[in-house]
Amino acid sequence: MSLVVEGVRFGYRKHQVLFGIDLTVRPGSFCALLGPNGSGKSTLTKIIARVLSPAAGSVSYDGRDLLGLPRRQHAKVVSYVPQSSEAPFELTVREAVLLGRTPHIGLRPGRRDWEQVDAAIERLSLSDLRHRRLSELSGGQAQRVLIARALAQEPRVLLLDEPTSALDLRYQIETLRLVRAVTRDQGVAALIAIHDLNHAARFCDQAVLLHSGRIVADGAPHEAYDAEVLGQVYGLEVDVEHRDGAVEVRPRLDATIGSVPAAPSNA
Amino acid sequence: MTDANPVASSENAVNAGAATNAGTLSWQRFRDNGTFRGIALVAGAAVSILTISWCVTVGTAGASVADVWHSVRLLVFGGVLERDFQQMYSIITSLRLPRALLAFAAGAALSLAGVVMQGLLRNPLVSPFTLGVSPAAAFGASLAILLTGGAAGSASWLVIGSALGTALLVSALVLGLSSAKAMATGTLLLLGVALTQLFEAMTSALQYVANENTLQAIVRWTFGSVNDAAWYEVQIVGLVTVVLFPVLLWFAKDLNAVAFAGDDAAKSLGINVPVLRVGLIVLAVLLASVTVSFCGVIGFVGLVGPHIARLVIGADHRYLLPFGALTGGLLLLLADTIGRTILAPSVVPVGIVVAFVGAPIFINLILTRRAAR
Repeated sequence: MSLVVEGVRFGYRKHQVLFGIDLTVRPGSFCALLGPNGSGKSTLTKIIARVLSPAAGSVSYDGRDLLGLPRRQHAKVVSYVPQSSEAPFELTVREAVLLGRTPHIGLRPGRRDWEQVDAAIERLSLSDLRHRRLSELSGGQAQRVLIARALAQEPRVLLLDEPTSALDLRYQIETLRLVRAVTRDQGVAALIAIHDLNHAARFCDQAVLLHSGRIVADGAPHEAYDAEVLGQVYGLEVDVEHRDGAVEVRPRLDATIGSVPAAPSNA
Repeated sequence: MTDANPVASSENAVNAGAATNAGTLSWQRFRDNGTFRGIALVAGAAVSILTISWCVTVGTAGASVADVWHSVRLLVFGGVLERDFQQMYSIITSLRLPRALLAFAAGAALSLAGVVMQGLLRNPLVSPFTLGVSPAAAFGASLAILLTGGAAGSASWLVIGSALGTALLVSALVLGLSSAKAMATGTLLLLGVALTQLFEAMTSALQYVANENTLQAIVRWTFGSVNDAAWYEVQIVGLVTVVLFPVLLWFAKDLNAVAFAGDDAAKSLGINVPVLRVGLIVLAVLLASVTVSFCGVIGFVGLVGPHIARLVIGADHRYLLPFGALTGGLLLLLADTIGRTILAPSVVPVGIVVAFVGAPIFINLILTRRAAR
């Protein structure tokens, strides 16, 4: 019943991005995909969402090959929250969330589709805004609409591509809290590409650290975070502090940026 | 989960009161309702039928709506044609009715094509002619007119065939290039702009070498009109529209996903975006090219028709496609009726009238849109 990624490789033309990724996310667990810009977090998320197809490797859920499924069947298992979305047309919140039902509906949405839409709207506290246009919403509200859309899809695997980057602190926390609750309540396997190591440590059960297209650490955050590895990956010396089972990463600001350890050649 | 709620809902409450006035909100809530949209569609269809009947009566012959219906009954079901009704019957069935129906069908086809193109390319400023369909068709028609020395009238099969062939060829070229190179939609639009310029220059070159007669024929073709509409034109444009409409409607849901969520998210929603895009653009191009080949270049309908429809019924393509067809048809029909009455007895080509009617509507749409944000 887990999301299993095996040997996934990917490159844009000559530029290789992922060099054989192996990863398992159990249902009901919330996994953070960490790493600096260009490390391949987004690419890996898009491969699992089937926005991109890998050069090699497999992705399966519950033993079923997800990449070989018809697109529509795949979309009933995996849903994807993109970084941001701009609709060039005026759309109400309810219409936007209904898009999540696309793989489920035939010619027109039935009662069950609307029930799922309204449940997702309720869950994201968007009920008061449901007839609003997307263009009238704040950034945080618009982000919640995207998550509601993904939930209306009734996924078993929920992918989020840096959903918190454009949000203020409160919405970052709120979003993470919500996704964690969804994974716990509904046994969904969630994978989030995220920059903030400390937020990931607070909310996620598993932390996977990517560096130049390879996984360099994988485990519970307090095990996965290692000052030396993080220092090499980010090119910045950090302190990792363990406190009552929690872990916190702090950049060492007195060190000059030039004198950091060289990036590993073999990772 | 519950721990996330209190913060969010208090914020919603604040914004719900302040952000927009209650009027537009209740309108949106009303419009969100499926029943409203159903009613709007039925009402739109009824208005269309009434408008077609009324437009047929407009003119010097003094026909009434009852005369129109009587003629249609005779035309469809046969029956005895009264002696004193003969002249009226022939004016209605061989002049006015095909003209009104061709205008409506052409408007519907162009507007449908516009809805599809705007949705697929995620750009509300796109029209069915964006990929260079109309200048290509104009070039094809001009070439045929020139080669036959102006002998072939604008309605000859040679001219129609040449216009259609060129339009389809150029669209195939654009689409082929874009899918071979996996181009972004922005590049596709630029390619369309380049081809538009190229074919306009080529048509100008033809006009430059043409003699007086041929030049006049070419210019008349490019105006875009439904003058001298014949039943076979109504049948062909109407048939293409009626056949392609359900196909487009079948993909309305997928079109929604691409238009509103973008390519990446649409893929993750289970849609094969490249195939859908090429397939639907082919259909839109077909609608536009057939229409242009028979009626000449009629701009603005494919751009404004969808916008008016969207304003009334919202952006959901399941409703927008049928309603957009109706608004486009009505717009062109009314424009043509204005065109043939405003300077009567001379007839202003509908392509000119619709630009005069469409441009202010469009400018108004753009300005009010900005103000709303």
